Amino acid sequence: MIELLTTKYTYLVVVALLGIGAYVMIESDNFVKKIIGMNVFQTGIFVFFISSAFHTAGRSPVVQSGGGGGPFVSPLPQVLILTAIVVGVSLTAVALGLVVRIYERYGTINERTLEEVRADE
Amino acid sequence: MSDTLLPLLVALPLLGAVLAVAAGLASERAAAAVTTLVLAAQTGLAGWLGSQAVLDGPLSVGVGGFVAPYGIELVVDGLSAAVLVLVAVVSLAVLAFATEDAPGGTAFYAQYLLLVTGLSGMAVTGDVFNLYVFLEITGLATYALVASAGTGRSAVSALKYLLFGTVAASLYLLGVGYALMATGTLNMADLATELAAAGYDSPLVLASFGFIVVGLATKTALFPLHTWQPDAYADAPDSVSALIAALVSTVAAYALLRLIYTVYTPAFFEAVPVARDALVAFAAVSIVVGSVLAVTQSEIKRMLAYSSVSQYGLVVVGLAIGTPAAVFGAVVHLLGHAIMKGGLFVAAGAVADLTGARTVDEYAGLADRFPVLGGASAVLMLAMVGVPPAVGFAGKWYIALGAVRAGSWPVAVVIFASTLLTLAYFALLVERMFVAPASESVLAATDGGRDGDDDTDALGPSPPSASRPSRRALALVVGAAVVAIVLGVVVTDLGTALEPTIDTLLSP
Amino acid sequence: MTDIASLRPALAVAVAAAAVVPILVSARRPNLREGWTVLAAVGSFALVASMLPGALDGTVYVADFGPLVAGVEFSLRADPLGLLFATVASLLWLVTSFYSVGYMRGLDEDDQTRYFAAFAASVAAALGVAFAANLVTVFVFYELLTVATYPLVTHDETPEARAAGRKYLAYTFGGGVAVLAGTVLVATMADTTAFTAGGIGALANADPVLARVAFVLLIGGFGVKAALMPLHSWLPDAMVAPTPVSGLLHAVAVVKSGVFGIARVVLDVYGVDLTSALGVGLPLAIVAAATLLIASVIALRQDNLKRRLAFSTVSQLSYIVLGIAVLHPTSIVGGLMHIPAHAFMKLTLFFTAGAIHVETHTDDISEMAGIGKRMPLTMLAFGVAAAGMAGIPLVAGFVSKWYLLLGSVGAGQTVFAVALLLSGVLNIAYFWPVFYQAFFESADDHDAKPLVEFSLGGESRSLLPAESEPDPGTVTDGGHEDEDDHHHGGPPAGGWEHRGWRGGESTWFMLGPILAAMTGAVVLGVIPGTAVFLRLVKVIVTAATGVAV
Repeated sequence: MIELLTTKYTYLVVVALLGIGAYVMIESDNFVKKIIGMNVFQTGIFVFFISSAFHTAGRSPVVQSGGGGGPFVSPLPQVLILTAIVVGVSLTAVALGLVVRIYERYGTINERTLEEVRADE
Repeated sequence: MSDTLLPLLVALPLLGAVLAVAAGLASERAAAAVTTLVLAAQTGLAGWLGSQAVLDGPLSVGVGGFVAPYGIELVVDGLSAAVLVLVAVVSLAVLAFATEDAPGGTAFYAQYLLLVTGLSGMAVTGDVFNLYVFLEITGLATYALVASAGTGRSAVSALKYLLFGTVAASLYLLGVGYALMATGTLNMADLATELAAAGYDSPLVLASFGFIVVGLATKTALFPLHTWQPDAYADAPDSVSALIAALVSTVAAYALLRLIYTVYTPAFFEAVPVARDALVAFAAVSIVVGSVLAVTQSEIKRMLAYSSVSQYGLVVVGLAIGTPAAVFGAVVHLLGHAIMKGGLFVAAGAVADLTGARTVDEYAGLADRFPVLGGASAVLMLAMVGVPPAVGFAGKWYIALGAVRAGSWPVAVVIFASTLLTLAYFALLVERMFVAPASESVLAATDGGRDGDDDTDALGPSPPSASRPSRRALALVVGAAVVAIVLGVVVTDLGTALEPTIDTLLSP
Repeated sequence: MTDIASLRPALAVAVAAAAVVPILVSARRPNLREGWTVLAAVGSFALVASMLPGALDGTVYVADFGPLVAGVEFSLRADPLGLLFATVASLLWLVTSFYSVGYMRGLDEDDQTRYFAAFAASVAAALGVAFAANLVTVFVFYELLTVATYPLVTHDETPEARAAGRKYLAYTFGGGVAVLAGTVLVATMADTTAFTAGGIGALANADPVLARVAFVLLIGGFGVKAALMPLHSWLPDAMVAPTPVSGLLHAVAVVKSGVFGIARVVLDVYGVDLTSALGVGLPLAIVAAATLLIASVIALRQDNLKRRLAFSTVSQLSYIVLGIAVLHPTSIVGGLMHIPAHAFMKLTLFFTAGAIHVETHTDDISEMAGIGKRMPLTMLAFGVAAAGMAGIPLVAGFVSKWYLLLGSVGAGQTVFAVALLLSGVLNIAYFWPVFYQAFFESADDHDAKPLVEFSLGGESRSLLPAESEPDPGTVTDGGHEDEDDHHHGGPPAGGWEHRGWRGGESTWFMLGPILAAMTGAVVLGVIPGTAVFLRLVKVIVTAATGVAV
């Protein structure tokens, strides 16, 4: 158990991030906080991928001209996550744009207040 | 040689989006023209490559010269060809309506083409991570399009959709991560063999399957993961509703089919029967609950949205049952539903433009005033109910045949009952449209309301031109009705064309 | 039996279906529009009739249109059984077309174009059901028939009509689903759904439980339109439709498509032998016998003439089902023979009800005392057709009932023969008062109608005070005083005026069809052997059972 905690602790971080992110998204009434929660959730997944690439005593995957030099950490998940981060940034941008739009229309970014405002529409 | 043109299916609309922005600097009409041209070219390309794939077997190419399984592979087989052609044709057709109805703006056309990029990408890719990227491109474009109505409501719905969609895509990504950990590959074909080698009962493989299915089911909007969908459909501009109702969930369901049969293969279902049973049960519940919710709606677009929840349930039931007949039925219903639902959303949009009617009650007496529009919508609704010989019947027939052959009796009962469930909400609407006294909004739209006493009124010369449905909308709705019937009639030819693909998919 | 590729069965359907377009186009010119209807009716009847000689000689015309769904052809096949139904439907469509003109114009109805278009579409669908060569093709037309008749049922666009339409859709689509489920089961068990005289061979080797389930689903599904109890309740409600619709569709085309479907399932899908081996014939016969007795009893209590006729239809349809379900060759002859016999007689009855409605706006039997003076020819036709319903010789009903009785006794199931005879008595009980009071009573002097007017189980109060104050439901004077009533029927003040026997009572557009349908019923009763139907029925039964009758 202890060994698991010391060697695989990053996975606990993953679980914690996913949990925190999901909780904030569901529980918070504030749209901006929801988006932050979404980002935390995604970060959990990023960490998951990066952790999976880890290799004990692995080196950065730069292959020498003669070959060999391993073991390397896996480069693939890192590349993937680079892409995923870009996707995440664009999503955040669109989401924040929508929040700005909502604020302009309704004067609030709070979900409950918004419901009250819309009930009067 | 046609293999090398595959990347164009994605590159063309993507480039088109940039061109549309550039053209938009000149004028908005130029952007519309560019979009039309690009989509026409896309339709031609998809048709040509699709027919190649159907006639000569699957096409594939490694992007950038990286060979599979290391590079990203694009693959077009019969199934993806059908989806590609559907995406191209429907987006081109809906564009005709969008240029009239849409909020306009250069950004709209750019987003429109980005959506086509994402959808086409999902259809052609042979790589699970690449699928994630296209899933998100599709999502981003859809969120922006939903919000393009410019209203506060649409922004809220788009944000809700964004949060749901992102979590769904993230779960899918998590599933991909597990699969990657289990096998070290991302290529679909390669994953199929590597997953088998890893053992289907390995927790990594099981977890990856669970996350991927939940993620894609959310995008497909199966109950209870559908809650984003009615808001998004209802608050989007009418043309966007038509487009996304016809395509977005359809392509997500296609992705689910692709993942289940190309990546996990039928052998996985045999090794883990509980996975199949759970998926079937999940989808069957969706059929029933979606219909019940649809009956309770008063707003037309929300009703149509809940109807989609139910219809995708039927599609997923078909693909989960997994006999050749059922999978073919699922594909037929997927394509047919896209046409029928797209047509109905266009009709709803046209009616709203004409009369402002948006609820079931306001539709009363509509068909007397707009007989062609009403008649074509009724044909589409009845087709969805499953009245032969339209495509709704064909899909249901094959799915039911598959369920019965597989001996899944409770599912068979749900499938048969789904006809009545669908009837429950559409019959209500048909009754309002055809045999109820005209509502105020309908009366107002037809020149202050003429009396219905003249028995030839309904089919005589139409009311003044200001209160006639636009030609394009009318053509689209009638066209959709015709296609729905023709598809139903030629379904066996479609079967012959797709048979090799489905056989390959289902061979262990 | 030789099959000949020919487009004729398809053309008969297509002519009726194609008529929809010119009818819609000539909406503004009623005479031209009705011209199209008549032209199409003549055309499709001629096409159907042209196939009759071939059918009697054992030639079957087949029109094949390639696969509908995998493994199932979309094909139309004019075999004797199909021709029997098609001949009845197309001939009576012609008669009804003229009657419709008189009726619809007489009442100055709205939406006549939609009415005539939907009528043509309904008949086309019914012909499609008749000629369909397999269960899937039948299902296609069966559903289309539902859709095409919906606008007819809801024609009035009143809340009542809409409710009836809703019920109609729910029942018939429910039936359609059952048919589809049964069809899928049959397709799974036998790998074919094509009708074969004597039954589909492969079904005999199928799992008997599944085969029974499929049988129940198919019969239940078709039983909705055949108004087998307890699936009948849409039919009386659908009487809110205009009378020609009630006449042709709810006595001939729609309900007969249900009965016809049952005949197809028993004779051409399962076959007489397998039905008997599975033990499903007897329960069906019991349901049919119960339906025909219960419906007759209910009919006794209906005051609205069309509702009484509707329950009579429910009852008479079960004669047909009973004849088929007894599974004896002679009873099958009787059952099938009752398809045309009932069609002619019931059409006459509905036509008379419609004529009364158009001329006097009277719908309730309690207001028809003495109406024979006003509409003598109409009520005479009513009397003749009613006699036929009861099975009195020289009218069509006698012939079919005779075979039914012989068959039931021959099959050793005398109990059904008793049910049939009892039902004949009930028929007289509910038809005779109508006829009797029309001619032998007058508006201001007629007997009470305890069955209609009193609550079930008799009155517990004393009836004496009612004599000083007239019972509200009883018409004791010329004027009808019930203001809440939705119609203003009944005799005018001073009783029915006297109209002669030379057609002064109505237009010939209505009288002609009434008399034509009545003549048909009599011809079938007097010379059944010469009229084509009995010969056709014998060909069918010989092919289906292998026994020459």
